[in-house]
Amino acid sequence: MNILGIDTATRVCSVAVTRDGAVLGEVNIDAGTTHSQKLLLAMEQALRQAGLGKEEIDLVGVSMGPGSFTGLRIGLATAEAFAYARKQPLHGVDTLMALACNCREEGRLLSPIIDAQKGNYYQALYRWQAGELCCLAPTEIVNVEKLLERIQGRECLLLGECGKLKDLPGNIEVAEDEIRMPLARSICYLSQRDYNREQDQRIFGLEPYYIRRSEAEELWERLHP
Amino acid sequence: MKDVFVLGIESSCDETAAAVVKNGRQVLSNVISSQIVIHRKFGGVVPEIASRKHIENIMPVIDEALSQAGMKLEDIDAVAVTYGPGLVGALLVGLCAAKSLAWALDKPFIGVNHLEGHVFANFLNDRELEPPFMALVVSGGHTALLKVKDYNEFELLGQSRGDAAAEAFDKIARVMGLPFPGGPEIEKLAFWGNPLAIKFPTARLDNPYEFSFSGLKSAVINYLHNEEQAKRPVNRSDVAASFQHAVVEALCQRAVYAMRHSGLRKIVLAGGVSANRTLQDTLAAEMAKIGCGLVHPTPSLCTDNAVMIACRGYFMYRAGVRSPLDLNAQPSLKLCM
Repeated sequence: MNILGIDTATRVCSVAVTRDGAVLGEVNIDAGTTHSQKLLLAMEQALRQAGLGKEEIDLVGVSMGPGSFTGLRIGLATAEAFAYARKQPLHGVDTLMALACNCREEGRLLSPIIDAQKGNYYQALYRWQAGELCCLAPTEIVNVEKLLERIQGRECLLLGECGKLKDLPGNIEVAEDEIRMPLARSICYLSQRDYNREQDQRIFGLEPYYIRRSEAEELWERLHP
Repeated sequence: MKDVFVLGIESSCDETAAAVVKNGRQVLSNVISSQIVIHRKFGGVVPEIASRKHIENIMPVIDEALSQAGMKLEDIDAVAVTYGPGLVGALLVGLCAAKSLAWALDKPFIGVNHLEGHVFANFLNDRELEPPFMALVVSGGHTALLKVKDYNEFELLGQSRGDAAAEAFDKIARVMGLPFPGGPEIEKLAFWGNPLAIKFPTARLDNPYEFSFSGLKSAVINYLHNEEQAKRPVNRSDVAASFQHAVVEALCQRAVYAMRHSGLRKIVLAGGVSANRTLQDTLAAEMAKIGCGLVHPTPSLCTDNAVMIACRGYFMYRAGVRSPLDLNAQPSLKLCM
C-alpha cells in the first residue's frame, strides 16, 4: 500500500511517501509560517523521490493535532481535497503519537510535547513495549512544572517543541535534531497500522484535535457563567 | 466553442461557499454555508471560530456544489478560489483545498481577488453587460470606484480612507445595540425613519473619487452620546435613516461625478452593501437623471458567494491566467494589484 503522509502541526512542513513501511520519499522543510506556500511543492517533490504518480497513492495520512491551529487546517484542507479528488481514504493521526514514533527504542520513556502558548505544553507519555507503541499518559495541557512532574524523575526522552525549555533536570534528554521534530514517515507508519477501511472513507467534516477552544469562546463562557 | 466549467470556492470571511458556473454566465450550482448565527453572540466575526467552521464545511460544500451541478470534479475545466482580501485563517482553508483539488487532477488553478469577484457578480444578473463600465464597490472593508475597461483591465479611480461604508454600518449598528450583521438591521430600522431628521456631515476630500466615513461614524456616535447625556429620547429610526441617507448621498455624489467625467453609460454596484435597497433606488434615480443605467446583483449574489469567484475565474481562464501552486493568502489584497 502506497501512503502519502502530511504533517504541518508545527513550523516543520513534512511530507513522506511510504510503501509497506519503507520510506520511498520524504521532504522536511523548516517552513515557519509558510506551509500554505510550501506544502504542495513538498508533496510533488516527495512523490518524485518515490517515483510514484498521484494516482498511485492508496491512502492519505494527516497529522490532526495538537499543534498550530492554522498549520493543522492547512494540512487537513490539503489532505482532504487530495483524498477527495483521487477518491482515496484519509486517515487522521495524533501528532504527539506520531512524534513518539520518531524514536523506535524499545522500553524507553518518551514524552512528545508541543507548545500550547503562554508557557503551556501539550504533553503525552509513550513507550514501545514488545514492538507496540503504548500510551502511558494521555495528552494534557500542562505548564513546565506539571510537565516535569508527570515524568516523575524517570529517564525520559523529550521530543517535539522543546526549544524554550531551559535547565532541564538530568533525567531528561532532548532528542537529537534528526528525530526531534515531526516526520511524516511516522504519520505514514501509524496510518498503515491504524487504517480502518470503513471509518476512513469518511473524509467530510473532520476536525483537527484543537483540545483548546478559541479564546473568544473561553472569554464568552467566563462572562456568561 | 467548447463549454468551460469553472468550480469557484470562497472562504474569506464567514461564509463557506462553492459553485459551478458554465461559460462565466450560467450558474449551475451555488452552495453557501453561512456562519452568521454562530458569530452573532460575539457581536462580529471571530476569526478563529470562522476558520474552524470553514475546515468542517469546506469539503461537504464543494461536494454539494458539484452534485447540484450534476458534475464530476474530472469534468471541471478550472478551479478558482478567493486568495484575498479577508481573514487569513479563513482564506487559507479554501485556498489550500482549491490548490490541492486542482493539483490532484492537474487542472488549471486560478487565484481570484474577492473584490473583483463582487464586481463580476453583475455579469450573472445582466446577460448583456460588457465592459467598459464603472463599478461602485461597497464591500466589507472597502469602498471604491473602479473603471472596468475590459474583462481583465481595471483602473482604480479612488477608494475609502479610514472607515469604509460597510464598516461604518457595522460600527453604528453595534453602538445602537443592533444584532450582527449590522447593515441589514440599520436598513430595517431606517425604513420607518425620516432620512432628513438629523443632518450628519460627510467628509469632502480633495480627490473627488475618494471616500471617508470615519467622520460620519463619529458624528452619529457623538449625537447618540449627547442625547443620552441630556436624557433626551432618541428616535432610533430617524438616526438610522439619517445615517443611511448620509452614506448613500456620499456614494451617489461620487458615482455621478465619476460617470460625468468618464463618459461611460453603465455603472454596477458590487459588495455586501449593494443589497441595500435605498442605495439601489437612489443610485438608479441619480443615474437616470444623467442618462446612465445601473446594474446590481440579485440579493443572493450581493453577499459573499462562490458564483462570483467562478465567474471572475472564468474570464481569467479565458485570458490564459494561471496561478502558481505556492500562491499564499493575502489578507490585505487591494483592487488593481
